[in-house]
Amino acid sequence: MSNKRSWSGALQTTLTIGSMAIILLPIFLCETPWPTAARDFLVQNGQNESGALNLVSAIYLGYRAFDTLGETIVLLVAVIGTMGLLSRVESLITPIDDEGNTIQSVSAFSLNNEKRRSHMLRTHLLEVVTGTIGPIVLLFGFYVMLYGHLSPGGGFQGGVIIASGIVFLALGNQQDRASALSKSSTLGGIETVSFLLLLLVAISGIFFGKGFLGNPLEESAYPVGYFILMNSIIGMKVGASIGAMCIVMMGGHT
Amino acid sequence: MTIIILILIVSLALYTLSSSDLLHGVIAMSAISLLSAILFYILQAPDVAITEAAVGAGVSTVIFVWALRHSQRKDETHE
Repeated sequence: MSNKRSWSGALQTTLTIGSMAIILLPIFLCETPWPTAARDFLVQNGQNESGALNLVSAIYLGYRAFDTLGETIVLLVAVIGTMGLLSRVESLITPIDDEGNTIQSVSAFSLNNEKRRSHMLRTHLLEVVTGTIGPIVLLFGFYVMLYGHLSPGGGFQGGVIIASGIVFLALGNQQDRASALSKSSTLGGIETVSFLLLLLVAISGIFFGKGFLGNPLEESAYPVGYFILMNSIIGMKVGASIGAMCIVMMGGHT
Repeated sequence: MTIIILILIVSLALYTLSSSDLLHGVIAMSAISLLSAILFYILQAPDVAITEAAVGAGVSTVIFVWALRHSQRKDETHE
């Protein structure tokens, strides 16, 4: 039995390495130089046309804005699906001890609705550290989001860091100072409003003759204002949706 | 430096596959994400490095740990 299993394991390994070699070897062996036309065009014109020092953000909000829109919709659908699944799971797994009483003990790495008896021996180290570090992480997330046109970062990256900050705040401040940011209904409202704003900004290019997702400020003195606006809207949306998902996962169902 | 990080990533990935304690595997995957972020930074892609550090080492670890809390941590079929 074990002999057969080891043989099948060896066969699987050989097949995996073989298929990877079939895909990767032509890339290593080919002599054709990489195409550079698009890269040279972006290096020459990107900064003048968009006004953004960070060319990555000029690309994903200016030249390839449809990718960003599709990415946002994918994230929205994923979060909707997760929330829909979780709202059923959480009703099945209610924290009940052996005698059938709902447990409301002090614990770590879970929010109030998900307390178990086995957590009573844990320390408060995690709550203290996350409660202290949460606002700093939130501030850094806003920095990455708002300065996405100048420094590395942007809406999505800043939004994920903001989501980490929201999770930290929800974990750390659950005893006495629970903030409005740790309620999933508030975060859902922020997400909905920012997606609506994103669509409005995307449509606004049409009225200035630039087309859907075009930059309405392209001929003004500050074309980069559009990028700052888009970055902050996408950051709010991503941060609110991922933060709400994590908070619902950890049992904060309010 | 790049080669050292790549060797570390491969060895951590092998450890993730072979470990019977799933929490250790999750921590190893988080370490893989952190090393990848350093690698992206060395290769002059700071945008990707920020994304990898925030998503891979942060949010996905939270999701994996949550999934472990609602399922089994140890493998019971072996040993």
